[in-house]
Amino acid sequence: MHAHNPYRPDLASIREVVQETANIKTLRVVFEDESVMHNFSFRPGQVAQLSVFGVGESTFVINSPPTRREYLQFSVMRVGEVTQRIHQLNAGDQVGVRAPLGNGFDYENMQGKDILFIGGGIGMAPLRTLLLFMLDKREDYGDIMVIYGARTPHDLCYQYEFDQWQKANVNLVLTVDNEFPGWKERVGFVPTVLSEESPSPHNRVAIVCGPPIMIKFVLFGLKEQGFEDSQIITTLERRMKCGVGICGRCNIGAKYVCVDGPVFSRQQLSEMVNEL
Amino acid sequence: MDTAIKFIAFDQLNSALDRISEQLDVWVPVASKDQKRVIQFAPYRPGMTLVLDHQTTLGPKQVVLPQVEALFRFDYRKSADEPSRQKVQLEDPHPPAPTLIFGARPCDVKGFLVLDQVFSAGPFVDGIYAARREQTLFATMVCGQQDSACFCSSVGSGPTDRTGSDLWITPIAAGYVVEALSDRAHPVMAWLQEAATELHVAAAGKVQEEAARQQVGNLAVDQCQQHFLQRFADTNYWQEVAGQCLSCGICTFVCPTCYCFSITDEMKDKHGERIRSWDSCMFFTYTLEASGHNPRPSRLERYRNRVGHKFSYFPEKYQGLIACCGCGRCIRNCPVSIDIRKAVQNLQGQNHACS
Amino acid sequence: MNSDLRSELHKKAEQAWPDLELLIGWQAGYDDLHTTPVFIRDSAEISKLIWNPWCTQNLAVYVAKHFAASSGKDDKKIGVCVKGCDSRSLIALLQENLVARERFYIIGMPCKGIVDLRKLHALSGAARILSVQVNAEQVALKSAAGVLHFPLDEVLMRKCRRCRYPNPLIHDVLVGDPLTPRTDAHEAYNDVAAIERLSLQERLAFWQGELDRCLRCYACRNACPLCVCQDRCIAETRDPKWLTQYMHLPEKFMFHFIHALHLAGRCTECGECERVCPMEIPVALIKEALNKITLELLDFEAGLDPQRVPPLLTFDAGETGI
Repeated sequence: MHAHNPYRPDLASIREVVQETANIKTLRVVFEDESVMHNFSFRPGQVAQLSVFGVGESTFVINSPPTRREYLQFSVMRVGEVTQRIHQLNAGDQVGVRAPLGNGFDYENMQGKDILFIGGGIGMAPLRTLLLFMLDKREDYGDIMVIYGARTPHDLCYQYEFDQWQKANVNLVLTVDNEFPGWKERVGFVPTVLSEESPSPHNRVAIVCGPPIMIKFVLFGLKEQGFEDSQIITTLERRMKCGVGICGRCNIGAKYVCVDGPVFSRQQLSEMVNEL
Repeated sequence: MDTAIKFIAFDQLNSALDRISEQLDVWVPVASKDQKRVIQFAPYRPGMTLVLDHQTTLGPKQVVLPQVEALFRFDYRKSADEPSRQKVQLEDPHPPAPTLIFGARPCDVKGFLVLDQVFSAGPFVDGIYAARREQTLFATMVCGQQDSACFCSSVGSGPTDRTGSDLWITPIAAGYVVEALSDRAHPVMAWLQEAATELHVAAAGKVQEEAARQQVGNLAVDQCQQHFLQRFADTNYWQEVAGQCLSCGICTFVCPTCYCFSITDEMKDKHGERIRSWDSCMFFTYTLEASGHNPRPSRLERYRNRVGHKFSYFPEKYQGLIACCGCGRCIRNCPVSIDIRKAVQNLQGQNHACS
Repeated sequence: MNSDLRSELHKKAEQAWPDLELLIGWQAGYDDLHTTPVFIRDSAEISKLIWNPWCTQNLAVYVAKHFAASSGKDDKKIGVCVKGCDSRSLIALLQENLVARERFYIIGMPCKGIVDLRKLHALSGAARILSVQVNAEQVALKSAAGVLHFPLDEVLMRKCRRCRYPNPLIHDVLVGDPLTPRTDAHEAYNDVAAIERLSLQERLAFWQGELDRCLRCYACRNACPLCVCQDRCIAETRDPKWLTQYMHLPEKFMFHFIHALHLAGRCTECGECERVCPMEIPVALIKEALNKITLELLDFEAGLDPQRVPPLLTFDAGETGI
């Protein structure tokens, strides 16, 4: 970040583009200035403003973990003007990156605990950064369970590394909304699978990210299973522009998602105004 | 100290501004042509007629936070290493020139004290705003022209509030008495040629006393921070105070303390700018997310956010500072005469008891 | 003045109330010179309704934008108070099938004209007007400088001085007696004609000077009862991107002329766009110019006959005007 001009991105170039699903691509980028790349540090869960000059900026979580520093990874779903343009980019193309922004996960407080990741669709991206971070420090954490759902098997991101997750002793539960030819994992919505699995709330932290409707029912389900608000962590999407707590639009009451979030515990959310 | 006080006779105002504007960029309130009542701050040019006896339609916010400004330039140029590729070069905006805002009101200056928190208090500092703010002097006029929409005294300011000003102007029968309030004012004072006489100073004192006696507005803002939060979910209340809102951007655009902005890229050929432009929390598109979800989908949530931002969220974040300067512009200019004083005044109370 | 009419309004509102779920009217604003719309949902609040020469807002703006899609409980209707000009907006909305007639109960207010606050302020010269009395055809304006008297006609809004339809053209009940239209109605397009007499260069300079003040606050758009696509407006969409966010003249021209073109043959000349502009840009003139053309070429005025289809919403192979 530039101290005098927090809106000025660092230039970065795309090293690799991975087609995750029909409408999600993953970009692996490196800062052009080697010293920026070398000195870059962040917490899992922090976000970046990724931009194409002439089109604009959009917010994405850095979904590679801070423990793996060869590139920064962003997964981009094609939904609007900027993401459409990002989807046209290739290896070698230039982008602007302003990062790290936001608070990130409080992983220190999760040490020694069992972890439950619940993700839906593109919502797996912020969970992946924390998951890989934990896998790189596996001994610091207890059981790790991942419930990950998408509409169809073709809508699941990061399929190419599911094996690695499982080898690192992750209990990976995959689900899709409807029966699908050849699909051997679970079928049903994430909240339903959650109640079927019914993981114990004892000494466990649940980290939830996905579409609003999924979050709503998952929060309900977790509550039913006895999770306290302080044990439930989520990361919010909000329209952001400046990313540095100035431009005003991403507020929820007095909190700005771009600096006070995007990671909030359910406890924190319950103390904020209800305007999600 | 009296020797530091200067005097500008009415017929000497332009020659004084001519001298100052040789050294600094000077912005002054002027009427638009055609006898319209629209008064705006504009860069001073010799011969201009200033309008100093009416509040301006737009405050001087744009001098420090222009409605549109470049955050940086970008240019796509052919890469030297790979001629088949275009590489981007970025360039920061030019540093600002020293500027004097002449003839602002205390409410106008109070607006900047609010903006300062947002842009300069951190965690991130907006260097573009901060640099321009640092280079801007305020020659502020004691205010003697309140109307039924003004309520500056209610929000910790008032017609003689000198906070944030560098020079202090008092209009008297023969002209303007000018005092220095900050060290930064001394060069400007030195360019003013005529010293004020004891009579001038005494006359100015009378004007000040008269203005200081004015209690402008009777809005009580004690604990509005909590009262707002208690009122937050009372849909009937917000329907009552803002059901008639048209979701236009007038209240935010004329407001000295509204600062929310958008950031967009504008490019022609291979050259462009990332600009910020005033945005309005009253607009549907302001919080519209790419997914189509909108956390503030109707005018009620949006108006509630505006009230909350100024009278609850802002004081919560910045040591009790209310993000309203009481200038009354939002009330005066609202097409449907929504009165933010009413919205704040009635926060307290049981039901949606506003009449 | 008008206290009789106000009681009559209250009485007629009370009579209609059993069939209403909501009544939109005017109530007193933050001072004597301002009114603000009121949404009455409880008959006890009917006493808030006022009617006087300050009732400036065109309440038809709420009809299409807030309530067109709502359906009444137990067939209850939405009541709305309209002046002559406002009633034309309702008719235009009906002509375009944007609202259903049976959903609304229309209280018509024959109107002698609405006071233009800008004219009052310009005449008074003072920062603060202390009080204003309207007696028959005279206005007494009190400021710190003393009391000034003006003929009411002199301080009426521009649209009122060219008004041809003081009586609501559609209503379920009328408050007060119908009025005789002003005699100088044939001069309705005098202001447009004056601009048309300018050379093209002068006209361009005029509009450059005026539109340069535009803040892009979109009050003109949002106050327009017939500007019904407001949240999807070309002024703000980025995808597709029609306009930059710069404050250059071309952007302002583009916005205002597209706004006007979208209202060609639809604008009912309620003047709200011009009244609400904080920068006092005479934007209604642009729409009047288009209406003048529509009248000359197609013999059509918007918002007069609910049964008639606006010529730009249909296609007539035998069209003789063009």
